[in-house]
Amino acid sequence: MKVEFTAAQDALRKELRTYFENLMTPDLKAECDEAMGEGGGPLWREALKKMGKDGWIGVGWPKELGGRGMSPIEQFIFVEEVMRAGYPFPFLTTESVGPQLAEHGNERQKREIVPKILAGECLIAIGYSEPGAGTDLASLKTTAVKDGDGWLINGQKMWTSLAHFCDYVWLACRTDPEAAKPHKGISMFMVPTSDPGWSCSPVHTLGEVRTNATFYDNIRVADDAMVGELHGGWKLITSQLNRERLSLVNFGPTAEMFNNVVRWAQKLDLPDGGKLIDEAWVQINLAKVRAGVEALKLVCYKQAWAMTEGNLEMADASAAKVYGSEFFIEVYRLLGEVIGEASLISRRTEGANPIASRIERLYRTASIITFGGGTNEIQRDIISAAGLWMPRASR
Amino acid sequence: MDFGFSEQQRDVQNLARQILSDNVTAEKLSQYDDYKAERFDRELWQKLADAGLLGVAIDEEFGGMGFGFFELGLLVEEAGRTIAPLPLISHLISAALPIQQFASQTQKQVWLPKVASGEILLTAALSEAYNDDPAQPYLTLAKADGSDLLLSGEKTNVPFAHIADRILLAAKTSDGVAVVLLDPKADGVSLSAQQVTTYEPQYVVSLNNVRIGAGDILASGTEGQALMQWIAERTTVALCAHQLGTSDKAMRMSASYTAERKQFGVLISTFQAVGHRAANCFIDVECLRLNTYQAISRLDGGLDATNEVQIAKIWAGDVGHRVSYAAQHLHGGTGIDRDYPLWRYCTWLRHNEMALGSSAKTLAKLGKRIAAGEAFCS
Repeated sequence: MKVEFTAAQDALRKELRTYFENLMTPDLKAECDEAMGEGGGPLWREALKKMGKDGWIGVGWPKELGGRGMSPIEQFIFVEEVMRAGYPFPFLTTESVGPQLAEHGNERQKREIVPKILAGECLIAIGYSEPGAGTDLASLKTTAVKDGDGWLINGQKMWTSLAHFCDYVWLACRTDPEAAKPHKGISMFMVPTSDPGWSCSPVHTLGEVRTNATFYDNIRVADDAMVGELHGGWKLITSQLNRERLSLVNFGPTAEMFNNVVRWAQKLDLPDGGKLIDEAWVQINLAKVRAGVEALKLVCYKQAWAMTEGNLEMADASAAKVYGSEFFIEVYRLLGEVIGEASLISRRTEGANPIASRIERLYRTASIITFGGGTNEIQRDIISAAGLWMPRASR
Repeated sequence: MDFGFSEQQRDVQNLARQILSDNVTAEKLSQYDDYKAERFDRELWQKLADAGLLGVAIDEEFGGMGFGFFELGLLVEEAGRTIAPLPLISHLISAALPIQQFASQTQKQVWLPKVASGEILLTAALSEAYNDDPAQPYLTLAKADGSDLLLSGEKTNVPFAHIADRILLAAKTSDGVAVVLLDPKADGVSLSAQQVTTYEPQYVVSLNNVRIGAGDILASGTEGQALMQWIAERTTVALCAHQLGTSDKAMRMSASYTAERKQFGVLISTFQAVGHRAANCFIDVECLRLNTYQAISRLDGGLDATNEVQIAKIWAGDVGHRVSYAAQHLHGGTGIDRDYPLWRYCTWLRHNEMALGSSAKTLAKLGKRIAAGEAFCS
């Protein structure tokens, strides 16, 4: 066991940090701020393509798939750095659906879609939840019905985030309504958002992040739009979610925010002399964040390492997701307290402190991932069952 | 970055787990309850010595296995898992390791081979009344007398002082800290037994003009202070490793209990509220595990680890506290019944939480380092 980065990994972190310092121009930063951390703008797209061209998006992917052949740890280092730089990285596409396509996709998907993902030229949204199917995802009703040499897709999805600027939806459809168990009648499809039968309408959220309701009206796709086996979608969904959970709780942005608040508090003068950081309660708040970030870093990297070894444990992925998502909420409170009332001032105010206004935005988005990506109650069910072998209730 | 155990580490872990789990039973532990007998299983101690485990981190030239601090940490974790009645931390980490690192060749020759063989017992006096910072003694003073030192003062909570062959002990001097090896039978030393929550034998060691010969002085001045800091960090991390084993076992005991206990005609593990309390423990223990391994790994690799040790101790305190009460609660009355083994774990979880600095105190220390710009996230 060597929990430290190797010299090569340290060098990679440095290289990437410099790379992103250069990439994140003020214009790009402004555009990303305007998109509330989602991306999708023209400069954002350009930057993504540049990362692709420079070989970063697939740094941990095998060479035969167009990657650089390094390990998932290097891939995670890349994602950590890109997110730390404040770039809204489309990790759902690159870190969760992409690897599923590379592993389970058919020849056409591997030939046409995977290289585009690594080039930063293809974006994919996730189509799981429906108005009546959230935590009980296997009860989903969107259907794909065999139609000659293709499939006819009809239904509605909810919370299809990023779909308004994505090229495909990774769509879970019911293909066997008679299946003995509902999760055994689900298949996965890559549905192009360019189809005339596809439409979306925005849902605006507390954190100003846009998400979508998406509609599928008699969309006809060819046989080779299916991913993996017929009725074999559930396995793809759960392993996509395991990967997504790790990406959701990336610690890079929090580490950066902590450092920024410390530097700011070291400089801020108090009315009675001294600096804000001299206050005992400020030091305690910061120490709580620091100790928590360290755990998050280790939890994330342990899983990146487990992927290298090919044994990402379900309980560990769920533990990371629960810990990270609930910790983020605490972080925005603890750091918000340090900053005080200024952490209520929006970035739209002229002269707003960017560190404070970032917290003003993030505290409003923090709840998303305690239920998104698989609600934490289900994650805790998974942990007690898979991690502690506790028999659970049947549902 | 490698989170896997090496073959050598796995061997040490398996060997320690096997010997300890075969030999430590609830029945055996019960004989030490309420100080009915001295909480030290000498037969088991000898088994560990015979298997080479007491010398796991002692250099080969002194009869040890010559492995590193990581392997030693794994041994301590297993001792925590079984709450083995053995003075492993005080003997091996607080006393033998610094002798190996800082003592003269002669001193090493005298002590280390017998440490590995189990023939002698060492301990360390790291605390004074209301002062648990080993590097800042102020109630024990040393003054020079020629090349000797004369020590006066008082140490508290010294494990196994009554049977130790030497006690590693620090005293304040005019120019820093003197670190010495004290013979508890020397003139001017008196011991008084303390009864503590774990039933470990602990003593107040009082010193009245105790003469320490030059050969028994390990370091002095600022060097002495650095040495005590070195010991403090390693002992703190050892407490974390012990806490890891203890909390992991208490958690698993609870999970198993809920998978057997029925109420309303069903296993209580099937209640979501029960499963989730256990899941919280799982997350906690994982965070403690990774932070502990990180601190050990850095110390093992000779890297600076002050922040990482403090963070591990904060987790050790918080996780120990939370797991202890979750485990008791999930067991219902069984958890506190002295005929069931869990309660002893709870006393050790509390011990490891409070020893050498609670979470609150350690958070404050880390906070000071953050303020000084010494603890940025890399």
